[in-house]
Amino acid sequence: MAPLPNSKDQTLFRSVLSFYENKQYKKGLKTAEQILRRNPKHGETLAMKGLIINCLGRTDEAFTIVKDALKLDMKSHVCWHVYGLLWRSVKNFGEAIKAYKFALKLEPDSANILRDLALLQAQMRDWNGYVESRRLMLGQKPNLRMNWTGLAVALHMSGNYEEAEGILTKYEESLKVQPPKDDLEHAEALLYKNMIIAESGQTERALEHLLSIEGRMLDVSSTLEYKASYLLKLGRNEEACEVYRTLLGRNGDNRAYYKGLEEAKGIKEDDVAARKKLYEGLAEVHPFADAPRRVPLDFLSGDEYREAAEKYIIRLIKKGAPSAFLSIKAVYKDTSKQAITLKVVEDFLAETRANPPADDASEADKTRHTENIVWALYFIALHYDYYRTRNLDLAFKTIDEAIELDPTLPELYMSKAKMYKHAGDLKKAAETMNTARELEKSDRYLNTKCSKYTLRADDNEGGLKLMSLFTRNEAAGGTLGDLLEMQCIWYLTEDGEAYMRKNMLGLALKRFSQVHKIFEDWHEDQFDFHSFSLRKGQIRSYVAMLRWEDQLRHHVFFRRAAIDACKVYTLLADQPHLGHASLSMGQLAEDFEKLSTAEKKKAMKKAKREQQKEEEKRKEEAAKRKDEANGKADDKVVDTDPKGEELVHTTTPLEDALKFLNPLVEFNPEFVEVQAIAFEVQIRRKKYALALKALVAGHKLAPNDGRVHEQLIRFRKIVDSLPSEPTDAEPLSDVLIAEFNALLPKDTNVVEYNQQYLEKEATNFINLRYGLQAKFFLNPEKKDEAAAELVKAVDLEECDIKEAVEGLKVLREWKASDEVLNKYKEAGRGRWPQATAFQA
Amino acid sequence: MEIRSVSYHLLGGIQETNLSNLPENYFLKYYLYHEACWPELSFVAVDTETGAVVGYVLAKLDEASEKEEQRIGHITSLSVNRSHRRMGVAHRLMAQSEKAMQEVYRAGAISLHVRVSNKAALHLYEESLKFTHDRTEVKYYADGEDAFCMKKVLPIPMD
Ligand SMILES: CC(C)(COP(=O)(O)OP(=O)(O)OC[C@H]1O[C@@H](n2cnc3c(N)ncnc32)[C@H](O)[C@@H]1OP(=O)(O)O)[C@@H](O)C(=O)NCCC(=O)NCCS
Repeated sequence: MAPLPNSKDQTLFRSVLSFYENKQYKKGLKTAEQILRRNPKHGETLAMKGLIINCLGRTDEAFTIVKDALKLDMKSHVCWHVYGLLWRSVKNFGEAIKAYKFALKLEPDSANILRDLALLQAQMRDWNGYVESRRLMLGQKPNLRMNWTGLAVALHMSGNYEEAEGILTKYEESLKVQPPKDDLEHAEALLYKNMIIAESGQTERALEHLLSIEGRMLDVSSTLEYKASYLLKLGRNEEACEVYRTLLGRNGDNRAYYKGLEEAKGIKEDDVAARKKLYEGLAEVHPFADAPRRVPLDFLSGDEYREAAEKYIIRLIKKGAPSAFLSIKAVYKDTSKQAITLKVVEDFLAETRANPPADDASEADKTRHTENIVWALYFIALHYDYYRTRNLDLAFKTIDEAIELDPTLPELYMSKAKMYKHAGDLKKAAETMNTARELEKSDRYLNTKCSKYTLRADDNEGGLKLMSLFTRNEAAGGTLGDLLEMQCIWYLTEDGEAYMRKNMLGLALKRFSQVHKIFEDWHEDQFDFHSFSLRKGQIRSYVAMLRWEDQLRHHVFFRRAAIDACKVYTLLADQPHLGHASLSMGQLAEDFEKLSTAEKKKAMKKAKREQQKEEEKRKEEAAKRKDEANGKADDKVVDTDPKGEELVHTTTPLEDALKFLNPLVEFNPEFVEVQAIAFEVQIRRKKYALALKALVAGHKLAPNDGRVHEQLIRFRKIVDSLPSEPTDAEPLSDVLIAEFNALLPKDTNVVEYNQQYLEKEATNFINLRYGLQAKFFLNPEKKDEAAAELVKAVDLEECDIKEAVEGLKVLREWKASDEVLNKYKEAGRGRWPQATAFQA
Repeated sequence: MEIRSVSYHLLGGIQETNLSNLPENYFLKYYLYHEACWPELSFVAVDTETGAVVGYVLAKLDEASEKEEQRIGHITSLSVNRSHRRMGVAHRLMAQSEKAMQEVYRAGAISLHVRVSNKAALHLYEESLKFTHDRTEVKYYADGEDAFCMKKVLPIPMD
């Protein structure tokens, strides 16, 4: 390290460091430049200048500067440390770790560099490296408890339970005096050790240890939960029962405790009498808990069910709890309970009506009487709206009766809106939800629902406007900016899906990418906790956080947006003209479909030219905005592509899809729809091995699934038509081909195979539809026949409206004639007269 | 419906519930922060069939009081989806959190803010849970509404 020759510059250099730490970048930059004027070859100052420039958003420039600095002073740990920080800021943690390690070699005692290195190792799950760093940190400061726990966590995560436990014990033994009883950090460390022992598989010893520390545990709930589970595992059932009863006394609404108790008592799931007795007893002990009253409804039947259901439901109805039907609908899986449940409420309704309050009864009594009728009607209406017992005419009739009695209750309109949705009239649904919203404008829940329904009716602007009633609209980017900042994923997804339905694929991709970005931020969020949590001493919670982060993208929010995005990208790969707003929407789009190939090419060319012009304009504007922003704030990054035009104009849609697809498949392999979309992307990329992998996985999950069936057939054709000489496509190994042959033998007559499937699935609309798609794929000339069968299928009982609307889309993909489309719509109208999609 | 202690994989659902019910919203990191610091204090109501979050209480220890003689628990946010209101969910969530504050942190009191116009919440706090008015904070909320600061003294737990 070359020191600065003059002491004034040395002082200035220290102030550069502190300007940087206090985020005063402009001042820091000025000072660094001041030093450099006198000492142009001072590497460390130059490195600091680069670091600050990076913070001002000029990353490329920063890298050039810091690389120059390194050339000037290869032996400086500061330069290497800064180089690592740059890599860290662009999230290239691998390179950052390398640079930190260089820095550390030059300055082995630097606690700062070691800390930065350790944090990255934890973030990267480089547990072996982390163990080493943590050992050094403990060596530097063995008096800090967090350094002991830090090493224990590192060892635990690397799978070394024994040493992890040993380290914690060593620290405990080093304590001269026992910490006071309310020392939470100590209690937590003990409980953490207990968790390690249990995870190492030594249940017996874990229990023993737990009993030895039980008395001083502050987190009583966890302690009891651990104890109960150990006892159960060890077969000490009677003791386990007792602990579960204690737990239930603390929280009578935790279903896991009931399950634990049943297990400990050795009650079999089908032993109805024993379960009934158990829950009756529990209901007495826990008069306010929901579970002991609700759980028996799952296993009781006949008169016993009737009796229990009556008590449960009527109590909720009398309380005016809107959740009465929601709470019970799961029992409808058992069809025999559907009628009984309805009868229970109908009887209550009849009885209430037969006993009106006397004329001189109090107002409160009169109101209660009406309320009981209204909530009973509400229950019955929901019964008829539920898909297992759906009769929309009766549902509408019943809810209208209720509305007549009380036109001020939002719930009634909310459920009516849902009925319109089920009838296929999304516009009416949104309007009705708005009526509900207007009845209680201060309730954000109603506003949320209304916005969602508005988006479902494809009204993006309307949805946003509603949201604006509850957001801080002065945030950068207005309402949408606030929703983004607050990570309102449901809205982004619904908004994107609405754009998708309208073929506005740029905005759709934009929204799905925003969801993707939120998940990246959530992943990044853990960073600070690698040090914070150790200081706080909440170690078990920290470990839980690490484990959750490792599975972060196994989340329905991510799954949904990622599948959507992949769908858009496959659409773009199949029909590149959809990337051009002018060719994908409205009249022009329809005209485009009718053009000849040559004319299509011409139109595409024109659209591309226009797009290029627009792009240049946009880039100019973005640059301008960026300049303006640079003048104002240091850290605000400007969105240069608010409408997703750059995203949608990609020339490599399938490669872009991988950003979504890879984590989707890695973290959600157990979903057929995930494997199905993986197949669609990979087959288009001509990555046949990956496509087959998805197909095999999908087949394993749902061998009879229509999607899988259709993909099998498509893949058979592709495999059969692969040229024997090498192509640009990845070759399929014999092993893979053998694997595929096991699913669909090589000499299968696929047309017949498909025909058999169609016959077998004759009553299942979804599977039938996929079978017909396969039929069309195999014999495009049989389009009319396939279409006619699809029209017929609309009448199937199992066909629901969402699927029926999908069917219409399939016909359009086949370029079916107007006549066929009209027939299909007519069939749809026959079943759902109000459905917008089927209007002529 | 059931009531459990919060775990990390439910935080996304809790954030969504908060965004659906209240205008005071936070990014996920703030929820992480609660769970990392006071994992015992927050609870969630979940639909047993779907696993979806239907209500939550997000609670913490008043940082200023952490080193003081008397620690104070604080309710950061509480809400229940309209579909599950009026069946005692909020009451149960609050009861669980209160108990944990006493047990784990020996908190001597619990505090919270509520909009002066929020009848349902005021009923819950004053009538059902026996909170009292501490003071009014003028224009506490972003839209200019005042807040009541509510407080409840917790009995010291016996060991
Ligand atoms: C306030 C809120 C959390 C109450 O949730 P909840 O689960 O319905 O409440 P509970 O069922 O536990 O009811 C508790 C008590 O409040 C009463 N209550 C609930 N809603 C009420 C209402 N709208 N009007 C009058 N009293 C009401 C209940 O009758 C019950 O009283 P009881 O103990 O005398 O029987 C819920 O309405 C909500 O989420 N609102 C929107 C978000 C919000 O305002 N949060 C509070 C911010 S401080």
